[in-house]
Amino acid sequence: MRGYISVFKMRLRMELQYRGAMIGGILCQMFFGIVLVALYNALYEGKPQSVPIENVATYVWLQQAFFRMLLATDPDLVDKIRSGDISYDLCRPVNMYGFYYARIMAQKLMGSLMRAIPMLAVAAFLPKGWGVSAPTSALGLLAAIPALFLGLLCICALENITMAFTMKTLDPRGMQALLNLLMMTLSGNLLPLTLFPDSWQKVIRFFPYAQLMDAPIRLYTGDFAVSDAIGIYALQGFWAVVLIALGMSMWNANKKRMIVQGG
Amino acid sequence: MNTLRLYVKSIGMLLRSHLQYPSSFIMQTLAQLVMEGGEMMVVILLVDRFDNLKHWSGGNLYFFFGLMAVSFYLTEFFGRGITGDFPSMVRTGRLDTFLVRPRGVLTQVFCGGTDPRRITCIAVGVAALIMGSILSGISWNIFKVLILIESIAMSCLLILGLFMIEAIFSIFSVKSVELVNAITYGGRSACQYPIDVYPLPLRALFTVVAPFALTMHVPASWILDKPLYGWPLWTAFVTPLSGAVVFTVMTCFFHLALRHYRSTGS
Repeated sequence: MRGYISVFKMRLRMELQYRGAMIGGILCQMFFGIVLVALYNALYEGKPQSVPIENVATYVWLQQAFFRMLLATDPDLVDKIRSGDISYDLCRPVNMYGFYYARIMAQKLMGSLMRAIPMLAVAAFLPKGWGVSAPTSALGLLAAIPALFLGLLCICALENITMAFTMKTLDPRGMQALLNLLMMTLSGNLLPLTLFPDSWQKVIRFFPYAQLMDAPIRLYTGDFAVSDAIGIYALQGFWAVVLIALGMSMWNANKKRMIVQGG
Repeated sequence: MNTLRLYVKSIGMLLRSHLQYPSSFIMQTLAQLVMEGGEMMVVILLVDRFDNLKHWSGGNLYFFFGLMAVSFYLTEFFGRGITGDFPSMVRTGRLDTFLVRPRGVLTQVFCGGTDPRRITCIAVGVAALIMGSILSGISWNIFKVLILIESIAMSCLLILGLFMIEAIFSIFSVKSVELVNAITYGGRSACQYPIDVYPLPLRALFTVVAPFALTMHVPASWILDKPLYGWPLWTAFVTPLSGAVVFTVMTCFFHLALRHYRSTGS
């Protein structure tokens, strides 16, 4: 276990180094946030919905703030798979899955926190209906934090499943694009899940993708009652276990039939 | 003319080279189809829930979406050298080899890249245009066809011009500047909806700095018989030319910037 923790810590420090990239990323993400919020405001002018606009704006900002959590890949690993350097990793006295799980988790956690905090600080000053509103209750905020952590566990597991596909096909682009699209759509990044047709929502909210960002955000905005939090955690935990187990078995299967691309 | 022939020939060669790996090509092309289909689905879902966006009907929105998709992905299809590969050409020093050849650098950059996978994205855009045209009940005539073609061509030039800003930046700072993405990809996301739904600062940005509104929304809204801001007919013909202006200005800047190009030495 100590090995994984030190990998995690090393990666955290590494992520802290890229401050220049961070500022560019924040400004770009804020721009996208403003455009989306402006669009939803214009749509709401014509036909207000049962979900208040403040919640939609908060949803958009939180999604943008934690964008890095959804979409950050470990570029080293893809290179290693393609170049064959992954064979060195087979020599390490740690489980490969756990090793990369810890790395990607540190990257996602630090990368998104570093971006989210300044972004949300700015977005909080925007007028009502345009910026982030405060959580409905302090309990809602407290309930959202463990949900976000459980969501993080799910994202990292999904990321490793994508990697397992890369190991199989060597060309990550086709499969990665498909899986990323599924993630961007069904996690509510392209369009808040609260604005999907009501009949779809009943199904989509049980998908693993809805556990990543949607569940914590809805606890924060109060769309999910705090009293339901235990049920939500259970669902998230269930998916985390299933996805990790699936990813691990895929990695193990890949390890057996791995062909190192010489060189 | 000679330059054009060279370009057509290079693109042909690149296309053949892409088709050498058919399964990978088909897989990636399908992935592009699903991605653009997903974007389209978002618009459909929004129309399903909200019916209208201010005074634009659902059909109008599909038309705007299709116009943006066709222009943006045509640009990426034929201008991949600028839209995708240029920063890495600078970083790896591949640009150096262009400087010693007896052709313009920009010509060579354009000849150096194409992205045929975008064909499915363009197809989605065309489908959206047709769907939007039918739902909005557009009565087509020769002027409208001409304006549509002008609008798409000028938008492509505009988008190329905007990607050239990124290319120019990458000459000065070897690390590519993520912020420029806000007006290229951000412009795509924002301007696939008509400009007049946005608040003034965004409208100003996309009318003056990156004039998507002039190359796309003014002509498109005239085609839809809902002239933007009530402007007269001739504006629909004139304003798209701003795309060519942006492209020309950026080409000049690009050549100026090349004088300051210092190779990374690798």
